[in-house]
Amino acid sequence: MTDLSVPLSSIAGHPGSAVLPEAPAKVTARNLNFYYGEHHALKNINLTLGANRVTAFIGPSGCGKSTLLRIFNRMYDLYPGQRATGQLTLDQTDILDPRLDLNLLRARVGMVFQKPTPFPMTIYENIAFGIRLYENLSKPEMDDRVEKALRGGALWNEVKDKLNASGLSLSGGQQQRLCIARTVAVRPEVILFDEPCSALDPISTAKVEELIQELSENYTIAIVTHNMQQAARVSDKTAFMYLGELIEFDDTSKIFTSPSDRRTQDYITGRFG
Amino acid sequence: MPIQGDAVDDAGPFDRAQALSAFKLGDVIFYWITRLSAISVLLILGGIIISLVVGAWPAAKAFGLPFLWSQRWAPAADPPVLGALSPIYGTLVTSFIAMLIAIPVGLGIAIFLTELCPQWLRRPIGIAVELLAGIPSIIYGMWGFFVLGPFLAHTFQPFMIETFGSVPVLGAVFAGPPSYLSLFNASLILAIMVLPFITAISVDVFRTVPPVLKEAAYGLGCTTWEVVRSVVIPYTRVGVIGGVMLALGRALGETMAVTFIIGNSFRISTSIFAPGTTISAAIASEFAESDGLHQSALILLGLLLFVLTFFVLAAARLMLLRLEKKMGT
Repeated sequence: MTDLSVPLSSIAGHPGSAVLPEAPAKVTARNLNFYYGEHHALKNINLTLGANRVTAFIGPSGCGKSTLLRIFNRMYDLYPGQRATGQLTLDQTDILDPRLDLNLLRARVGMVFQKPTPFPMTIYENIAFGIRLYENLSKPEMDDRVEKALRGGALWNEVKDKLNASGLSLSGGQQQRLCIARTVAVRPEVILFDEPCSALDPISTAKVEELIQELSENYTIAIVTHNMQQAARVSDKTAFMYLGELIEFDDTSKIFTSPSDRRTQDYITGRFG
Repeated sequence: MPIQGDAVDDAGPFDRAQALSAFKLGDVIFYWITRLSAISVLLILGGIIISLVVGAWPAAKAFGLPFLWSQRWAPAADPPVLGALSPIYGTLVTSFIAMLIAIPVGLGIAIFLTELCPQWLRRPIGIAVELLAGIPSIIYGMWGFFVLGPFLAHTFQPFMIETFGSVPVLGAVFAGPPSYLSLFNASLILAIMVLPFITAISVDVFRTVPPVLKEAAYGLGCTTWEVVRSVVIPYTRVGVIGGVMLALGRALGETMAVTFIIGNSFRISTSIFAPGTTISAAIASEFAESDGLHQSALILLGLLLFVLTFFVLAAARLMLLRLEKKMGT
């Protein structure tokens, strides 16, 4: 395994924390560009995710929000022809370093997807599976960790009597919380949510939003959402993206009350999108 | 809307039932065509079973149950002495070895093609696998007879005999002398023949795994191997087992290639390098010049193959059911 903490002197010289005085920078992007083959999907993105903060990404479909999220854990690497340029760091680690151990990166940067994605195994195994990748625990220790993770995912009370049922037998909202619990169980530093509630009913959505708030005490969170109320409810910072560019990035309260860019205002007032 | 309503009224009362009745006849005909097609399957299957049972009856009456476990096969004796143990043994052993080789290799190809293969190599390998399925079995037989058999007898078999000859159990399995025609040779050819089935079906079902499910596993930090083992294969197990069973069915019944290279010997040897025979090979090589009880015994062999295949498929079903239970429902 390679060392994750590859120092990047160029970034260390001027930490992005200057942008966000209230929280130290966890993830910093500098002139980040992304290409799907020839298509230039993200253009010169500069932003920081503050540690233990919730950062929301909003914007019309196809603006590059999800694309940006998928750079943070190098998910795009699975597909040929997709590449990112510029600088992107997680603490001192250069995320775009081609020699980076992706498995370790993804252990540090967890991801929850738009659709619930329980693995084809029991509820217990869904959680234990991720833990087992990194740690060799005895059965009681593992039971303990699984319970903690399920409590962390606000799911324990609903599934404690049927841990050996298939993960697929749960309802959509429960499946999504199972996926969050699974992500948390690996103890990442950053959690990426890619429209986590778009397939859920309102009650499940409320539960997941509450969960995101709780998780921000211990994790740095980035969430892509189409739901502006959701962004306003859960996030500390909001980034508005449009056509592959980061138009405005500021405190959520400011974005939703007095945005400085005309396009941001048009979008949040529903004039397009 | 009222304008349209007036137009209809002008044309006289519009009889919906009348208009629909024209379609009714077509519907009835369609229903019966499909139903007859489905029923014909049952009729054909039943007919085959009945004619097999009728043909096999004299031999079943003459030899009884011991037919299953007696080894001697002397159709020229008077009266003929016939036992099915050797062909049954050969069928099971060759199919078993063939699957032992074909399952890992076939799945390996499928995993490589779907998860790891660079785009430009995908088509050539995919086409090669398809072509492998298209080669007539007689070609495999000739290739096994003229190329693979001599090669094995001169290189692989002496090596294995030398290496394992003195090991207690393996020594009996890999006993000499090397032979062009052997159970092992037939197993290898069978493995190559069923490989495309396993690969093609596995590739198809592996492609049905939602990308986001794989991404979720990669997102936890899984390696490709962990994703395949814990997500892709469990997700597609029903399809994969189906493909394996299809391949096993073909291996059990494959005739032409096996007849060429198995040696058609009714003596059971513990060594897989010795000649042997299978049910289908025995029927193919003897049916033309058989009569009376001998012919009936061959038909009984055919019936046995039928039953054997049926039990294999039933066992596969059971296995799937148990798997489902284990995974939780």
